[in-house]
Amino acid sequence: MQFGIFSVGDVTPDPTTGRTPSEAERIKAMIAIALKAEEVGLDVFAMGEHHNPPFVPSSPTTILGYIAAKTESLLLSTATTLITTNDPVKIAEDYAMLQHVSDGRVDLMMGRGNTGPVYPWFGKDIRDGINLAVENYALLRRLWREDVVDWEGKYRTPLQGFTATPRPLDGVPPFVWHGSIRSPQIAEQAAYYGDGFFSNHIFWPKEHTQRMVEFYRQRFEHHGHGAADQAIVGLGGQVFMRKSSQDAVREFRPYFDVAPVYGHGPSLEEFTRETPLTVGSPEQVIERTLGFRDYVGDYQRQLFLVDHAGLPLKTVLEQLDMLGEEVVPVLRKEFAALKPAHVPEAPTHASLVEAARQAAETTEEVPTR
Amino acid sequence: MSTRTLAVVSGGLSNPSSTRLLADRLTAATVEALRARGDDATVEVVELRAHARDLADNLVTGFPNGSLRAAVDTVVGADGLIAVTPIFSASYSGLFKTFFDVLDKDALVGKPVLLGATAGTARHSLAVEFAMRPLFAYLRLIAVPTGVFAAAEDWAGGGTDRALAGRIDRAAGELADLVTGRPATARPSDPFADTPSFEELLKGS
Repeated sequence: MQFGIFSVGDVTPDPTTGRTPSEAERIKAMIAIALKAEEVGLDVFAMGEHHNPPFVPSSPTTILGYIAAKTESLLLSTATTLITTNDPVKIAEDYAMLQHVSDGRVDLMMGRGNTGPVYPWFGKDIRDGINLAVENYALLRRLWREDVVDWEGKYRTPLQGFTATPRPLDGVPPFVWHGSIRSPQIAEQAAYYGDGFFSNHIFWPKEHTQRMVEFYRQRFEHHGHGAADQAIVGLGGQVFMRKSSQDAVREFRPYFDVAPVYGHGPSLEEFTRETPLTVGSPEQVIERTLGFRDYVGDYQRQLFLVDHAGLPLKTVLEQLDMLGEEVVPVLRKEFAALKPAHVPEAPTHASLVEAARQAAETTEEVPTR
Repeated sequence: MSTRTLAVVSGGLSNPSSTRLLADRLTAATVEALRARGDDATVEVVELRAHARDLADNLVTGFPNGSLRAAVDTVVGADGLIAVTPIFSASYSGLFKTFFDVLDKDALVGKPVLLGATAGTARHSLAVEFAMRPLFAYLRLIAVPTGVFAAAEDWAGGGTDRALAGRIDRAAGELADLVTGRPATARPSDPFADTPSFEELLKGS
């Protein structure tokens, strides 16, 4: 099982000091957080893509390319890559390039983006969101898998004799996850292709995640990629930890109370009861996270959100220390002990290369007479 | 004989509330009208005042908490709805609107509804027609032709005057007709069951 963090990249004032970091500080902080993730033994760093303030990460592969150069083993991912408003040709090229630069340490999570005005800025319409996600992703897959592509669709200039360069590393495209908070169509898309499905699992009650994942698993099996419990599932999660849970609650409350998305609404206690947010000791985080398995089954990737709502960098790095030292080692052991042998791990570049090699061998073994 | 469920949404804020009083009258008359048509009824009342904070939280977080979810499920699952609001500033109250704002837009499609409203004077009486009726038309419920408005003077003498009683009975009869004419198996829309297969999505359906 893979453990990591995902960052939205919001520039939010620290409510305890009133100070807002500059874009430069926030960008450097995100990089420091990613490097720390590798240092403390996490597997994955994923970052969002946004094209509107107060978010900084408009250009994920630039940051991820830099992080790739500074790390050895960290898997670089996105949360999410906008499959609706980005040109699929540019996604194919940017992430194939990142594959080469990072020696295959890259996968992606596709998302639609939920901010209406962003679509027209890129010549698109939010009402076409699902159809854009379907058409663009179908094209992206061909661009990675076919050397020369002739293509015509509804939302982009046709392509004649087009080759996306560089070709994917070792001829194997990056693994793709699809993220959606509320659209079963996206779970259906993930299931159709045998791709991974990632549930945000932060802002809404667990019943919602449970239903989406169950639907994805059923459809994964329906589309012939394996049994439902072999589908590739990722979950978000949000935690804030201190040695004692009282300290955690006391320190996090001012950030929670005015946080983007859920601030000015329910109390910290109500929100931790209603959603997977956990504010407490490392032991409490371990217990709650192990419980996720009870309603989504054995899953492959757990990403935590630790750096939003204006939390200072120093605090975030302390959170990562606790995750790496006290939480993830226990989770790794416990989840591994529970996972049946027929449930796969999340695909990596190495495993996909191996699968491609085996597939090629099988083809060669077919008698030719 | 089948048993129908009636959900009653009351937006009154005071206790006792004339909005709840009207809601109770409408409910009793509808239960009686259903019995007269050979059906039994169970009644679930949602007092929005009890969910004032839940509704504000839902606006912020995008999901109903456990307590509000139970109320929403009650309304979504009912065979018929009785919706009663006080008239504030020429329209339904903000709290009343918020409850219908946080539902999925298709959650109540096809559901029969009886509209009721209360206010201090009869000058607000047409708010049922020009404010409430379009809201429920947008949500694609089937509103009965008779909307029931009660002003303070309608409660004169501690009971309903004959004109109000007549309107209540007529509206209750209209709702009972719609509810009994409705198939018992009508289900609310289900985004999972209704998701098209990916082959259809690829065709751009």
